[in-house]
Amino acid sequence: MEKPYILHMLTTAKNLSPFDVNMAVDAGWISAIPYINVEPSETKSLVQDVIFSRSPKGLQNTGIFIGGRDSKQAMDMLKTAKNTMLPPFAVSVFADPSGAFTTAAGMVTAVEEQLKQKFNTSFAGKNLLALGGTGPVGQAASVLAAQAGANVTIIGRQLDKAERIAELCNVEFGEGKIAIKAATNSDLTELIKTADVVFATGAAGIELLSSEQIASAPQLKVVADVNAVPPSGIAGLDPFDNGQEIANSPSGAVAVGALAIGNVKYQTQNRLLKKMINSEEPLFLHFEHAFEVAREVINSSK
Amino acid sequence: MFDPMLNNSPFDINMALDNNFDVLMPYSNVKLDSIHTLTQDAIFSRSPSGIKRTGIFIGGKDIGLAMDMMNSAKQAMVPPFEVSVLADPSGAYTTAAALVACVEKELHEKHHKALKDCKAVVFGGTGPVGIATGVIASLAGTETQLVDHMSLAAAQDTAKEYNRRCKSNLSGAIASTDAEKIALLEDVDIIFCTAKAGIQVISPEVLAQAKQLKVAGDVNAVPPAGIAGIQMNDSGAPLNALEGAVGLGALAIGNVKYQVQHKLLKLILATDKPVYLDFREAFSEAKKLV
Repeated sequence: MEKPYILHMLTTAKNLSPFDVNMAVDAGWISAIPYINVEPSETKSLVQDVIFSRSPKGLQNTGIFIGGRDSKQAMDMLKTAKNTMLPPFAVSVFADPSGAFTTAAGMVTAVEEQLKQKFNTSFAGKNLLALGGTGPVGQAASVLAAQAGANVTIIGRQLDKAERIAELCNVEFGEGKIAIKAATNSDLTELIKTADVVFATGAAGIELLSSEQIASAPQLKVVADVNAVPPSGIAGLDPFDNGQEIANSPSGAVAVGALAIGNVKYQTQNRLLKKMINSEEPLFLHFEHAFEVAREVINSSK
Repeated sequence: MFDPMLNNSPFDINMALDNNFDVLMPYSNVKLDSIHTLTQDAIFSRSPSGIKRTGIFIGGKDIGLAMDMMNSAKQAMVPPFEVSVLADPSGAYTTAAALVACVEKELHEKHHKALKDCKAVVFGGTGPVGIATGVIASLAGTETQLVDHMSLAAAQDTAKEYNRRCKSNLSGAIASTDAEKIALLEDVDIIFCTAKAGIQVISPEVLAQAKQLKVAGDVNAVPPAGIAGIQMNDSGAPLNALEGAVGLGALAIGNVKYQVQHKLLKLILATDKPVYLDFREAFSEAKKLV
């Protein structure tokens, strides 16, 4: 008899996200087992217990999901998990803390598609401002856009925090191959004048970009906001927007809203969870894999 | 699945789901005084026929606590509202059962001896697998010493505590130096090694002094072996240093352990009358398997 599909779901938070549990079971995992309040130092022994209790064949039907709220911590746990595997005793592992990796992948690819469709261009050489970019979604989106060639500036309320996050993105997530900069809200008036793309990934209900600022952006092409709760993080943006022109833009910039992003995110997470089930080889999945899969999602929806 | 630790063991979860339990509920960070309520909530929410398809697993790392939890769960049952309970903290019961059963088989086959004719020492004797091994061997009539590498008092206290709990007849000893180990091994027939993985407890020189040794079993799967000269796959292979003595390695023991745990989980689902399974049933299943 074939072994049932078991996904061991680890989180450092005090609860798993019901979002991730629904996604896992809907993707075909039969049992989604929660491990909450996990200390990162427990990762090794939990992974060992996972891999040594089934035969290599049974392990093909076994996976590990890493949630939590902190991207650095999740990436470290993913690395530890990978290093703990003793092939053929190995399983696939997927990190998506706060859903941030798949959300960021959804946003970056949806914006990439608008750049291509409406402006016949790409991220290469574009000036990109990540407003409220110090959180998990902002971090991953900044890294993905920078890897795609954009000149990214993370804008936060406090410069030291924005600088710390930019450094983290460059060194940890970008492995020293990208150079994200940091700035504060007071720099925005100046920076918006040369911006091509704006990501808004701040807390819900705070306007990060005003219509006056949009009016002062002569080369703005795409604005995107992950916030689905009014008021929008970008003045005039509707959560349903997916390529609609934003009001007051002298350059005809288009908007991408939370629901358009969420649609790609949802399908991306679903496909990644399915990939874990279908792969013969163990996979170790994070934001970069989410980005590849999100591009497939966008292309398959055409 | 009740577990006093921060999280349940993924090992136990894989094993349970692979043995036809369709739905599995982890309860972590469970306190002893919650067991009564949790058990009653499990038994009173299904009809007596429905609870035949319900079971409780007790995990953790502390076998004394697991014994207390098992007792508390038993006392909470109100027949016919009653479910089967299996305890196997850290897999210690099934590992110890497999170890002692494999040793017993070798004693019988290679030396025509029974456990009750023999004298044994358990290195790593104050850890969960060591305690369970000592208790099972002692209850089978073996004169058994639990050995701690740091503290005589810890070994003696552990022996006393489990003698009280399990009506066994264990004693405690310390062995931190090679001289102490040699003194302990002088007249033993059996060495159980359940010490921490990756540490060689018995060197070739020490082993060579165990003139009476008949069987040595080592559950450590991470090199170097706990007992010098035992290979992981050994299943009664001669120990070079000593004439007549044979060794059992971690994979040979682990293979039996795995099957014992499967068997016990199956028993819970198959049984008509609720069963309470601990190291005793683990040992009798392990004996059947070898």
